[in-house]
Amino acid sequence: MSSRRNGARNIRGPQSALTDFLAANNISAAQIRTDYDRRRQQTAQDATNAGEGPSNATPEQDDDEALAAAAQAEEDEKKTKKRKRTEEDAIDKIKKAKSSKGGSKAKGKKGKKGDPDDDDDDDADFDGDDLGMYKKSRPAPGQFEHCDICNKRFTVTPYSKEGPDGGLLCTPCGKELKKDLKKEQRATTKAVGTGRKRRKVESEKLDGIAVGGAKSLSQLCIQKVAQHHDDIEELGDLPQSVLERLSEIFSKKRVMKSKTLPLFLRPDLDSVIVHDAAYLEEEDYRQMFAVVPNLRKLVLSNACQLKDGAIDYMLERCHNVRHIQLYAANLINEGMWHRLFREAGARLEVLKLTWLDAAFEDLVVRDLVQYCPNLERLKLKLCRRLGQDAVVTISDLPALKHLSLQISQDVSTETLVNLVQKRGSGLQTLSLEKFLDADDSLLEAIHDNCTQLSKLRLCENDTYTDAGFTSLFTEWNNTPLSFVDFNSTRDVDNNNPTGPEDAIGLASSGFRALMAHSGETLRHLDISSCRHIELPAFMDVFNGAENYPALEYINISFCNRADTSVVAGIFKSCPALKQLVAFGCFDVQDVVVPRNVALIGVPRAQDAIEQFGVGIGVEEAISRMVEMAA
Amino acid sequence: MASSSDYVTLVSNDGFSFVVQRSAACISPVIKRMLDPKGAFMEARDNTCTLQNINGMVLEKVCEYVYYHEKHKDARDVPDMDFPTELCLELLMASDYLNI
Repeated sequence: MSSRRNGARNIRGPQSALTDFLAANNISAAQIRTDYDRRRQQTAQDATNAGEGPSNATPEQDDDEALAAAAQAEEDEKKTKKRKRTEEDAIDKIKKAKSSKGGSKAKGKKGKKGDPDDDDDDDADFDGDDLGMYKKSRPAPGQFEHCDICNKRFTVTPYSKEGPDGGLLCTPCGKELKKDLKKEQRATTKAVGTGRKRRKVESEKLDGIAVGGAKSLSQLCIQKVAQHHDDIEELGDLPQSVLERLSEIFSKKRVMKSKTLPLFLRPDLDSVIVHDAAYLEEEDYRQMFAVVPNLRKLVLSNACQLKDGAIDYMLERCHNVRHIQLYAANLINEGMWHRLFREAGARLEVLKLTWLDAAFEDLVVRDLVQYCPNLERLKLKLCRRLGQDAVVTISDLPALKHLSLQISQDVSTETLVNLVQKRGSGLQTLSLEKFLDADDSLLEAIHDNCTQLSKLRLCENDTYTDAGFTSLFTEWNNTPLSFVDFNSTRDVDNNNPTGPEDAIGLASSGFRALMAHSGETLRHLDISSCRHIELPAFMDVFNGAENYPALEYINISFCNRADTSVVAGIFKSCPALKQLVAFGCFDVQDVVVPRNVALIGVPRAQDAIEQFGVGIGVEEAISRMVEMAA
Repeated sequence: MASSSDYVTLVSNDGFSFVVQRSAACISPVIKRMLDPKGAFMEARDNTCTLQNINGMVLEKVCEYVYYHEKHKDARDVPDMDFPTELCLELLMASDYLNI
């Protein structure tokens, strides 16, 4: 076979597609093989030369090998010479081969199949001509080569880089090239923003921190301070608002510990606000009350280690506490709650307690009502042991202006109606969450008694009817509301998936009445999961001619009748809009978002969850949407 | 004097002055009000704001920021501006004062 090859010096036999491909990519199996053989023989030779001792078990054989190596080397030399000579010819040949490939290909394949061993033996006796087919290949490690960039002579190593023109580079040039490449790569990845970084960006957008454009300078600074929280010794005379913001960030990053807490304690301040106090212990609480004796406002969230002793110390040191807000402070005992209200109750104006499991019960609320006559703002949420009696007693708080309740036990509608009748006239905020059984009589009581409400939240209920909402907002003697949250007022029944005949919860007519009553001052509107609001109602309310000048936030998630035209109408009717949340509105598609508005939740797999308006006015955005629909 | 030239001068308390584009400087409501041609402040006449509580080093960063802000006005996913950590708290005070 070798003779066949040798005889056919200038006539090329059939060639496989793989060989073609390898040739085009400057890879030669034969070259690799010969290089490898030569290197192996070289080392073998070296070994024989170095130690003609006992390590060589078969010296004769080695001799043979050495001879063979010498012969091979000679041959190699010949080959390289030949190769150079025939390089130009070879290129021509490749071109020819490529053009005639079509015909010879099939044949070649057949031939190969018939004799699979062919290929294997071929390698050994590939001759110069065939090798010459390939371009100059990479020299083996250990050889000298001229650098492709600086033209210096250098020793080739396995790590030598290939230059832009295919030649090898010396080590310094290679390093330079690598650096450039890395820089380029980094630049491209940064633009895209990958992995965690990108997640963070999205999360900041959803938090409303990044609303397009650059972040504010104070935000950048606060971020940086939080990053270096370990190195700060003192924050200096930062204004209180900034300090509070910092405290929030520290809490969010979970670095509010014994070491960082003192940064936020200053005798001249009158508030301590720690949104994550989980790491703080008895000593820290004592320090808090010792350093800030003028304490008026105390906010402690996750205060899981706040115990009786600390409260005792506070009562002793701080005589001016007006505002207490605690989250999950479960180690305070029944007795201490009673004492707290008896001793500090007279001055208390704001009390917000959430997630109390163990000790806070109806009897404590009785003390609270009895000893805190000046309480204006009360929030009790998810306190497991509170029940109907607590609600009854709360209705006797004389100065109450803001009330938020979420009570896990059953509370009868009559109790709530009674509460609204007694306190309604003074209330500015009323938030009743998850009172499942409250019905239209409560809405009626609100209609009849409340005249000063500005914030109203009645959510998670399946009893209010649309008619109830409609009559609440018709001829209501209340000033227009600025904050409305009626989310999840609807009936869910798997046996009747389309819902009842007469709509339960806020529906078309109730929604119309609400917007007619409060549209001009409404700032925050949450009607998510009010599934019975029909398309015409949306169209009427957000028709582009009506104007809601204050509306900044709208949540229409899972109002599945809303479609793209509703969203366009919202953009047009609400000039102050910042955020529109529309999860689960599947008819909303291809929205073009105008400047300064963030649209959240409109699904399309490859999009970001939030879409930002960039540099387009409302008019242009809407005209583009129309174009797209056409 | 024509009070609406395109550039305004910001002067720090240690005497450094920075000439910045009016549109960029006016992202701070404080500076904007000082320079409002309708207001009768001296600053508006001279097109110069002297900021008594900000020193030169911090003001330099502030100027850098206002341009950075202007440049990225309509962009999204803006890379954060970098500044030396030791300036952070002073810069925070300044940003709070200037409301930017």
